[in-house]
Amino acid sequence: MLEILIVGAVSSAIYAMLAVGFTLIFGVARILNLAHGTFYALGAYGAYFFTSSFKLPLLLAALLAVALVAAFGIAVERVLIRPMRKSQLAMLMITLAVALVVEQALFLTFGSEYRNVPAFVDAKFTIGGVSIGGARLLALGVGVVLIGALWLFIQHTRMGSAILAISQDAEAAQYMGIPSDRIFALVMGISAALAAAAGVLAGPFLTVQPTMWLLPIVKAFAIVVVGGLGSIPGSILAALMLGYAETIVGYLISTSWTEIVSVAATLLMLVVRPAGFFGRRASF
Amino acid sequence: MFRKPVDLVGAAAFLAFMAALPLVFRSNYLIGVLTVSVIYGIWAVTWDFMSGLTGRENFGHSLFIGVGAYTAGFMNTTFGMPGWWSLPAAMVMAVLFALLIGLPTLRLKGPYFALAMLSGAVIMQRLMLIFWEHTGGEEGINGLTPLIRNQLGFYYFALATLAAITALLLALARSHWGLILRAIRGDEATCQAAGINVTFYKIASLTISAAFAGAGGAMYAHYQLQVSPQLFAVVTSITIITMVYVGGMASIYGPVGGAILLVLLTELLRNFGEWRLMVYSCVLIAILFFVPGGLVAPTWRRIKAARGWGP
Repeated sequence: MLEILIVGAVSSAIYAMLAVGFTLIFGVARILNLAHGTFYALGAYGAYFFTSSFKLPLLLAALLAVALVAAFGIAVERVLIRPMRKSQLAMLMITLAVALVVEQALFLTFGSEYRNVPAFVDAKFTIGGVSIGGARLLALGVGVVLIGALWLFIQHTRMGSAILAISQDAEAAQYMGIPSDRIFALVMGISAALAAAAGVLAGPFLTVQPTMWLLPIVKAFAIVVVGGLGSIPGSILAALMLGYAETIVGYLISTSWTEIVSVAATLLMLVVRPAGFFGRRASF
Repeated sequence: MFRKPVDLVGAAAFLAFMAALPLVFRSNYLIGVLTVSVIYGIWAVTWDFMSGLTGRENFGHSLFIGVGAYTAGFMNTTFGMPGWWSLPAAMVMAVLFALLIGLPTLRLKGPYFALAMLSGAVIMQRLMLIFWEHTGGEEGINGLTPLIRNQLGFYYFALATLAAITALLLALARSHWGLILRAIRGDEATCQAAGINVTFYKIASLTISAAFAGAGGAMYAHYQLQVSPQLFAVVTSITIITMVYVGGMASIYGPVGGAILLVLLTELLRNFGEWRLMVYSCVLIAILFFVPGGLVAPTWRRIKAARGWGP
């Protein structure tokens, strides 16, 4: 029972880091970013690459990886997505194409075999008789801190208010003198950095290989649908629900069936309440 | 069906060219490549019928292909049914999946449909690996029987199927039905206000698209004599979407040309080996940026205009 509680919390934290970024860039800039999983993969590969090739200390490698992925995210937004803003369709295509290009680049440089990302803590801890890896606990802790920090940033700073204003009404916000293009770039950077951090933290206990970007996209989409497209509290709640639902299914039925949970949840939610728990509108 | 006789002549000339190619060059390798290109043509044209006309992007066409192929695999090997039964069975299964995903998502606006299709394909690929005892895992299902033993015979069968499907979808696209689908792409709310049951038309066209894509999947399975989870891969869907973009979206006949062109080009890129997919993705990005209207259909229109053959 306690094991379910802890393991579920860890996967929820990782899902939340992925989903919050995914929903943020959608809520603010209306970009449905299919390259979001790519940022996650690049984070994990970045940490692996800097520690194994340059022998950098892990913390430095991790920070460098997150920063570079954020820069990459901003570059993608600036160069590839911005000219396509007129059409949802073209943005979906271009982000998916970016994801494939990166997957192929990773495949060509690192090959298809699994890579090991070093963990910050190798020790195992025992909580109430349940043994759990330090890397997982760290992922949980850092995830909570990062999302909390993002929440404070959005709620309590001028920049955060600008982000909120744009997400409510982009045009009106622009009339008020908010530079929306710059805010989009900032949000893309934050979203990419969060995904990369999730990749760095989850790297040690997940399989790191070129196609690892795909499942996170599926999960993030499920979470965002359940929580409501564009809502941060909704996606945190939904991340908890999905994390626990998967863990419980894994324990009670079989781990084979966990993958179905997300798609089933997506379809069910779209039938019952398309707007999600916290969505403002059913459609846009 | 064809608005201008010149379109009919063009189609006939193209068919004759495709039919004559293997007779002129007489190589089994060429027949193989052409067969694959024709099957891709089926997939591209079915994608275009749903997504090109209504503007609702389907990022998981590989779902229907994989479902069709696996249906063929199970029918043929596990249940020992003759190969020809695979085609209708694959169509039925693909339609079931289309309804499963289409019913909840297509009544909504927004990106739900596109993403749900993508998720569906990804999860199906995972399930094929997870339940490897039943599906053969990475290896897939082997030992299917060919539909037609003669390679050239199968190629002509595939070509005829492609021609029939294209003619049917083109007729639909140029009928009242197609007009409504195009109107939906233009402005859904207005269509609804005009009393058109928008959801019905979207789901019906997805069903048609899925049925033929599933049949194409079954044909592919009986051509390769095996099925693998790779059929569900996102890459398959993207390859098809790229073909449609190259062909010219919403033109129905364009994607056929796009598919054949790209499969032949891919063969030329064989030397690139592992770089092949990279080249593919970059082609897609370049097309999105520089020729969003596509190549094949606009070229045909331009030829017609230049010769004064009518629009």
